[in-house]
Amino acid sequence: MTRRHVHRVLATLIVAAALAVWVQGLGAQSAQSAKDQYTIKPLPPGGPTPRLADGHPDFTGQWFPNGAGQGVSGRFGVDPAAIPQFDRKLTPEEPPQFRPEALAKIKSMTATELELSKSSVNCMPRGVPAIWLQNPYTTFIVHKPGLLAQLYEVLNNWRLIHTDGRPLPKSPEPFFHGNSTTRWEGDTLVVESTGFDERTYIMPNGWYHSDDLKVTERYTRPSMNYLIVEIMVEDPKVLLKPWKSAPRRWTLGNGEIFEFYCTNNLELEELEKLRQQELQQKK
Amino acid sequence: MTTRNVLGVAAVTCGAVLLMAIPSAAHHSFAAEWDSTKCRDFTGVLRKLDWQNPHPYFFVDVKENGKVEQWSFQAYSPVTLRRNGTDRQVFLDNVDKDVWIRGCLSKTGKAHAAAAGTLKFSDGVMRQVGQIQD
Repeated sequence: MTRRHVHRVLATLIVAAALAVWVQGLGAQSAQSAKDQYTIKPLPPGGPTPRLADGHPDFTGQWFPNGAGQGVSGRFGVDPAAIPQFDRKLTPEEPPQFRPEALAKIKSMTATELELSKSSVNCMPRGVPAIWLQNPYTTFIVHKPGLLAQLYEVLNNWRLIHTDGRPLPKSPEPFFHGNSTTRWEGDTLVVESTGFDERTYIMPNGWYHSDDLKVTERYTRPSMNYLIVEIMVEDPKVLLKPWKSAPRRWTLGNGEIFEFYCTNNLELEELEKLRQQELQQKK
Repeated sequence: MTTRNVLGVAAVTCGAVLLMAIPSAAHHSFAAEWDSTKCRDFTGVLRKLDWQNPHPYFFVDVKENGKVEQWSFQAYSPVTLRRNGTDRQVFLDNVDKDVWIRGCLSKTGKAHAAAAGTLKFSDGVMRQVGQIQD
């Protein structure tokens, strides 16, 4: 290659790079301009962590399962950055590793059976841990020494977690929200629960659980506006190994939660019809 | 630095810059009950509202082929509608007024029933009242 050729190639590459930077600059400007037009933006962290009289973080507040601190469903002008609860690149969430028989059971469900199994359709309580994994509505937490009250907007469900150090019952009743014991690890409240009603699903994808389910929730509040909830699911009859969620962030709302008794889902009738059609097709 | 090295560095730099300029993409999903391949526009007069959980229904007299038939439309939950600015009062204020709706038909073929995605009342404001499919 002659010196002239080298200079020509170099000049071409430099022009291409300059063009790319210019185009990218235009893109960045247009992205910035789009960002300026968003009316619903990510909620900043806010002030320091509020604390109870005993010095532990105070989790009191109304919490939204998104980054905006307000509703984002069905709204225009939402910054996409304000929607997710975690960054899949920064904190990837591994899929659950099912036992072969569990996977076969899940795969055998038809699309309609899957739909009918969902709490959002059948109006059954989501239960723990689903209430922290598959709940688009808000949760109001009232926290005081010895007690963490969780008021779930969806279905008007509630859960009281005693944080007075009481142990798990030896023979727990099967509850939708389980039976819990707690401990503090620094500023993290660790809640371990066993004894779950078997009618709930971990995720709305057919991921059922057994009577051996153990759930560990880890709650932190790194700042005024953020609540972080991490879930670990142990269920040796269903999973090959424990499953851990990403640290999911909930953001502080204005305190308003609304009544949401699920009493009359007309979708059930239609879905039952579809299920009957599926059964006929199987025959 | 040799000529070959200079060219190599320049090529890598250009490639990196060009890669950074490529935007990323996203996607979404739809429920089992409604047919996203059968979505259409409706125009008519809003007649009544059944505000309940988990889904409110509103009823619209739709005039087609010289005939008026009442359709029911399913919407988001009341909580979601309240938070997105299309609450019960907005619907009540528009009873007996014109409405435009984009909605999808039921998979079972249920007559005169659809899931509403977007709608406009007579103020012309586009409102999202359910999942948008197209």
